[in-house]
Amino acid sequence: MATATDEQVRGAHLGFLDRFPWRRIVLIILSIAILAVVAIGAYKTLTLPADERYTATTWKNFIVLGLAQGAIIGLIALGYTLVYGILRMINFAHGEVFMFGAFGAFFFADAWEQSGFLDSNPILSMGLLLVIAMLTSMGIAVLLERIAYRPLRNSPRLVPLITAIGASLFLQNTARGFFGAQSRGFGVPAALEGTWTIFGIPVDRIQVVVLVTVVVAVTCLTLFVSRTTTGKSMRAVAADSEIASLMGIRVDRVIVTTFAIGGLLAGIAAVLFSLTFETVSFTMGFRPGIAAFTAAVLGGIGSISGAALGGVLLGLLTSLGPALILTGYGIPSSFQLKDAFTFLVLVLVLIFRPGGLLGSGEAEKV
Amino acid sequence: MGTISSRSIVRTGLFACAGSIYISLVGLYTKFADLALVGEQITLGRVLIVAPALVAAYAVTRPRIVAGERRSVELGSGVVVGAVVGLVGGVVFALALVFADWFGVDRIREVFVAVTEPLLDFLTFDKGIPAGLPILIVLYAAGGVIGGFARTAPAVVRKPVSVGVLAVLLLGLLQRIIPIVFVELGFEADWLYRPASGLTFGGAAVVFAIAAAADAIWNRDGGRTRDRVRSTVDEAPAARVGLFVAILAVLTILPLLLGTVISEVLGQVMIYVLLGLGLNIVVGYAGLLDLGYVAFFAFGTYTTALLTGAFLNTTTGAAEPVLSADLNFYVAVWIVALLAAGVGLLIGAPVLRLRGDYLAIVTLGLGEIVTVITASKWAQPLIGGPQGMRGVTKAELFGFNFQDNPQHFYYLALAFVVLAAFVSWRLSTSRIGRAWNAMREDEQVADAMGISTTRFKLLAFALGGAIGSLGGALFAVSIGSVTPASFGILVSITALAVVVLGGLGSIPGVVVGALVLIGLPGLLREFEEYRELIYGGALVAIMILRPQGLIPNVRRSRELEEEEVTQDAWGKEASGEREAAAAVLPGGGLGVEREDIG
Repeated sequence: MATATDEQVRGAHLGFLDRFPWRRIVLIILSIAILAVVAIGAYKTLTLPADERYTATTWKNFIVLGLAQGAIIGLIALGYTLVYGILRMINFAHGEVFMFGAFGAFFFADAWEQSGFLDSNPILSMGLLLVIAMLTSMGIAVLLERIAYRPLRNSPRLVPLITAIGASLFLQNTARGFFGAQSRGFGVPAALEGTWTIFGIPVDRIQVVVLVTVVVAVTCLTLFVSRTTTGKSMRAVAADSEIASLMGIRVDRVIVTTFAIGGLLAGIAAVLFSLTFETVSFTMGFRPGIAAFTAAVLGGIGSISGAALGGVLLGLLTSLGPALILTGYGIPSSFQLKDAFTFLVLVLVLIFRPGGLLGSGEAEKV
Repeated sequence: MGTISSRSIVRTGLFACAGSIYISLVGLYTKFADLALVGEQITLGRVLIVAPALVAAYAVTRPRIVAGERRSVELGSGVVVGAVVGLVGGVVFALALVFADWFGVDRIREVFVAVTEPLLDFLTFDKGIPAGLPILIVLYAAGGVIGGFARTAPAVVRKPVSVGVLAVLLLGLLQRIIPIVFVELGFEADWLYRPASGLTFGGAAVVFAIAAAADAIWNRDGGRTRDRVRSTVDEAPAARVGLFVAILAVLTILPLLLGTVISEVLGQVMIYVLLGLGLNIVVGYAGLLDLGYVAFFAFGTYTTALLTGAFLNTTTGAAEPVLSADLNFYVAVWIVALLAAGVGLLIGAPVLRLRGDYLAIVTLGLGEIVTVITASKWAQPLIGGPQGMRGVTKAELFGFNFQDNPQHFYYLALAFVVLAAFVSWRLSTSRIGRAWNAMREDEQVADAMGISTTRFKLLAFALGGAIGSLGGALFAVSIGSVTPASFGILVSITALAVVVLGGLGSIPGVVVGALVLIGLPGLLREFEEYRELIYGGALVAIMILRPQGLIPNVRRSRELEEEEVTQDAWGKEASGEREAAAAVLPGGGLGVEREDIG
């Protein structure tokens, strides 16, 4: 219904507001304005006087930081994309699944830091922390599906969405009641502090660990979905759940598996995120959750490679964007507007290309 | 035990136990341990000990469908099943307490901060671990029995008793209002309430008797009284007007009875009623889920502050904003509403093509952009940034000061609410309201019927935005200063919870939703910390158990039953899904036949 003929047909019997293609005009003006703002801002930033300008090292750091954070965001985004692909619902509470994983890992990391296990066996302890966080997040995700979403399986789309918002708030405040309102410092093994020099650039060790772990996890997920029987049934349910159930696939079980996998990935992301920012709190799930959703939409929701790509792109955009564009306008503390940047990307993607970069680009989908 | 398998009984008992463990860990028991409802012994904490078993037993004794036939559980087996459920849950919970005691409370507290010695003391009734546990188990079993009874007893007994018990609990919770009202009216309150505490036993008995009798009379002769009253109200215009005048009269004298503290809470409720009414137009009438509603609230607050000559907070004192005016509040507020309608158009225009969950997420993003920008240093010269603004107008009128006196503020808020409710009500019954209805039911069909969906979507955003900004304007007057901390996603979610709890599209629903979600936590300071937990839980529970809300609107959209799935490339299964939804949801065609009061 997005075609021009449709609009002409409609225009035949409706008033001025409908006949006038002002939505299109608004969009064109909007896109020109955005391009101009970005171009001028970038030009101004890059031509600042030498003493105010960012150095090349700073830019490299921005890029590495953006890559590492984007990789984490991408892992969370996979959880959104998998669930959306199968249930066509936005699991708004996925950020909280991530947060619980971080708390699960935190209590062990805290105990091991005091006992010295964290520093003496960094590789083993990191592996165990990953497993603990993955299991915690998986448990929460499966419970969430079972208690909040399954009874609403056949309801219209807004009902599960409102439920998911409620579940998000509920889980967040459950964590606050369980673990307390203050944020806690997350212990990092001594072996991961400092930098490694890669291709002549000093890179934080944690960021290397983050990137490697994410690449491994995404590869495993891709293999799982494309090679295993479970992966095949997931794809079948995503394509058409009714036909899949007629073919003997247990749809309920596939859905639980999907939530579980989303939870596992969120658990990995939680450990990496906690290592990067060295702190956990009950509100830590909200912003990364929204950013991950944005990444999933940016890449094309429903597509696995899209989510990973979207994560990395969004990471780079939010890390480079404020510095590159806003500094030129002399906006103070441009990093404060980082989150606004994320949301702006989300809104613009949904307005201009709702199908995402790797999606089909159909407006009908929305 | 008839149709209920022993496996499901044990499982339900374990659920009850899990519920208690959750309540323990999240800290609700310790928080409410001392909030007495009736006498000294019946505290909210103890009610919460009984509640999980009660709810579990009530759930497990539901009628089942056996061989296509709906079979209710009989009273005897219902009570026995309830008792067994309670026993199982109680024993397991007691074992969990024994484990906690053995493992060490201090070690558990390193993870779960709410697990303390007072918690164990409370759950064992200060008698220590072995001695207190039998009491706990007996209470649990009692909860199970009550739950089974509440489901399976004959309606003649069940309904008056449940209403009576609920009335006692409600009056127990309202212990900070009712005594004040009594004193203001010149009555003695001592027989009903203990000093600064809950009901007396005598008072509780009286309340129970009155409520139960009222319910029995109301439902007498198979509901004939009820039907007669309803048809009188529905058919005789005089009765409707009378009811309306009566409600208005009560609302008018309310703050005089309630004193300043409670009037202040009522003022907050009013602000959320306004937000709810505005959001109700967007979500309830037009079916557009807006999660960025806080944008309008913030816009209303800041614009009111700017237009009425507030100044910026700075580190050195105060400064003039870049743009400001010094208008009278009663002039400024209309400008604010008009501008907000314009903002609604601006937000609405680019997202017109998006539907359902995508629309929700885009609006969420827009709302968050507003909150991030208001709190950023960038916004400092214009609206104060992180420091905010102060010196908002007191909206003086005829010598009344609406900022420092909550009782006066209540009247200002009431005037706005009545205005917004009137506009909402007139809209819902007008051609515009019917167009929204049609659009919400099925956008494509509405389009084909000649309804300009573009125009009506924009109208919904503009009107919803204008009403929401009035809420912001009131908020600015009530607190006199503006800080970005007041504007977050939580405002949007609270407004949504108010609308959803009351019932989408229902004006009385919004009022009830705001009273329950804003009023109750505001009156009981103990709830403050758990407010968001309750909002979240309420949203989930309402969507699962009663998606049409507490006071459903009959002509309300089928938004929740049917969806715009057919317009969806994904929605191949649309028709099948619809029938399933209509069959599953309690609101699907079987909803309570009731019109809005108005």
